[in-house]
Amino acid sequence: MKSYQIGELSSLLGLSADTLRYYEKIGLLPPVTRSASGLRLYDDKDVSRLNFIRRAQRMNFTLAEIARLMEMRENPQSARSEVRALMEKKLHDVEVHIEELNTLRREMRLLINLCHRAAGGCPIIEDIDQAS
Amino acid sequence: MSIEIELFAAPGCSRCASARKSLERVVQGVGDDRVTWRTVEILDELDYAVALGVVSAPSLAINGELVFTALPSTKKLRFALEERLAAERNLP
Repeated sequence: MKSYQIGELSSLLGLSADTLRYYEKIGLLPPVTRSASGLRLYDDKDVSRLNFIRRAQRMNFTLAEIARLMEMRENPQSARSEVRALMEKKLHDVEVHIEELNTLRREMRLLINLCHRAAGGCPIIEDIDQAS
Repeated sequence: MSIEIELFAAPGCSRCASARKSLERVVQGVGDDRVTWRTVEILDELDYAVALGVVSAPSLAINGELVFTALPSTKKLRFALEERLAAERNLP
């Protein structure tokens, strides 16, 4: 099984080493395995947890909320009902966000297609000008 | 019930002018007062175009439903209109 030292993981995930250490300190990540010389060695399960944390942060979940969702992530069958309710609420927020992104994607795709075909002038620039 | 056609056009769209002429000819040829049409300038009604699923210009919607995502042949356009007009006549 692959293991990662903190520097390598930091580059891979775009999270600073300080952030990785902080997550472990506040219990967002379980204690990380150490090498004989005391270096942290992260495994693929840690990478998976960190990817979940990153995605949830991009959705503006607080660290406290993420910590609770991690509980359910580790053991969904034993999740407390309030944690399940939080997960359901956050799932709804994610679905709304996806819908908004889909609308934005359709709009951008349309403007790009119009721009390719425009004989003179670019509709994308015109749209930006109109909006401002 | 009327049949409303919307032609989605945009500045610099070289095929939009031909689409407009083609549509005018077909609507006149069908000769039914229930058929009306308008040009929708995509940049003026962007949210509407996106909601309908318009991805390029020219596109044609009939009664609020995107039917053609490119300039259809005169024959296909006439067929689409006549099919809808026939369906109207068969309504109880």
